[in-house]
Amino acid sequence: MTRTIPEADLAGPRRTGPRLTRLHLMSRQVPGALTVLACCAALLWIVLHTHWIRGDDHAADQQILLLIEDGAASVVAVAARNPFGESERTTGRLLPLLRLGAALLLSAAAVGALVLGAVAGRLPGGWFEMLRDVAGLAGAGLITAAAVGGALAWTGPLAYTVVAEFALMEDWQTPWMWPARPAHDLGAWLCAGLAFAAGTAVIAARGPRETGGDS
Amino acid sequence: MNIEITDLTRRFGRTRAVDCVDLTTGTGVFGLLGPNGAGKTSLLRMLATVIRPSSGSMRLLEQDPAGHGPRREIRRKLGYLPQNLGYYPGFTVVEFVEYFALLKEMPPRQVPRAVAAAVERVGLGDKAKAKLRTLSGGMLRRAGIAQAIVNEPELLLFDEPTAGLDPEQRVEFRSLVRELGQRSTVVVSTHLVEDVGAACAEVALMHQGRIAFQGTPDELVARGAGHGTGDAPLERGYSAVLAAARA
Repeated sequence: MTRTIPEADLAGPRRTGPRLTRLHLMSRQVPGALTVLACCAALLWIVLHTHWIRGDDHAADQQILLLIEDGAASVVAVAARNPFGESERTTGRLLPLLRLGAALLLSAAAVGALVLGAVAGRLPGGWFEMLRDVAGLAGAGLITAAAVGGALAWTGPLAYTVVAEFALMEDWQTPWMWPARPAHDLGAWLCAGLAFAAGTAVIAARGPRETGGDS
Repeated sequence: MNIEITDLTRRFGRTRAVDCVDLTTGTGVFGLLGPNGAGKTSLLRMLATVIRPSSGSMRLLEQDPAGHGPRREIRRKLGYLPQNLGYYPGFTVVEFVEYFALLKEMPPRQVPRAVAAAVERVGLGDKAKAKLRTLSGGMLRRAGIAQAIVNEPELLLFDEPTAGLDPEQRVEFRSLVRELGQRSTVVVSTHLVEDVGAACAEVALMHQGRIAFQGTPDELVARGAGHGTGDAPLERGYSAVLAAARA
């Protein structure tokens, strides 16, 4: 088993942090995730600049917006998956930090992309409300990733969205249905914030569930 | 001793995958044999700190992996090739191995040389820049072995490492394992008895979660004298021990 790797194939000594972060983000397909988020932003822009959102019915407008927010949050959740399985889980203390960083980065990118998509358009509830909704949905997605695995992580936000669409129609008042609550509702902020904090904490500490893994 | 386990049990529901196992081993190559479902992978996953025991005690590299700090220390000195190797297909072989070297907190200056050495040791030097998606199953297995050995681990755990390797590569792998076993504890779980005979100094045969035999390959061969079925002496020993365990 002796062959020589060409010199050009060998990387020189580099700073661990940036290199490891880059490799981790690549393995989570973050570039692809950012592309999908850009598509969500473009879709939002189209929705806001056509007659989809009329502005005279907040609940109906919010229902359309919620579907796009669900898409963006699902991207955050699915990107939490671990393609390496158990061999990655048996490494050192840096992995939780990388998982946390990736989740925060993609959540920020999801909100940022939708804010950009809403530029020059009239966003129902404003971008502050959108920030709350996306953060809460992303948290639900990350909790789902920890429970059932990254590949199915989108099912959590989707299930929540279905219920929230119904809540918007029926005008539910519970803060746990934060998309149905106005931007200034403190209870809705607390619930969405709690979901996001729980999701990022659990994905950082445990990672996504893997088939056959149960530690 | 690098592995000291006492009365180790792991249950999955009502099934005892590993049932009251005692095992102690130091530097060298240790083979875990047994039929499918014997508990080899569950035992290896506990040694890899992937799953926790249901009961019993375990010390790895003279530390108790139940504690968070010791577990972290153990993982830095651990190399693990799981039965189902996961990988990101967009990585090159070098990126794949480098990622694990960095995750295991190797000093940055040592990483490029260690990665190159690991890739060459598994015979993938000419595929160093190839994307993992372009590799055959045997080559992927070798890339998996490279990530396991890149940090010069003190404890190396291989689960079915020769699955998918051709005969020539298997011979080379055995040679690599013997070399690694000179300074590390290497545990090789397999159901290929010839791998054990060629590479291991000590062997345990598991059956229904328990260790049915522990000794040297020669002692296993002796168990098969005049008994068992199989083409090779080790296979006869293997089948004789299993037949006795089932009786």
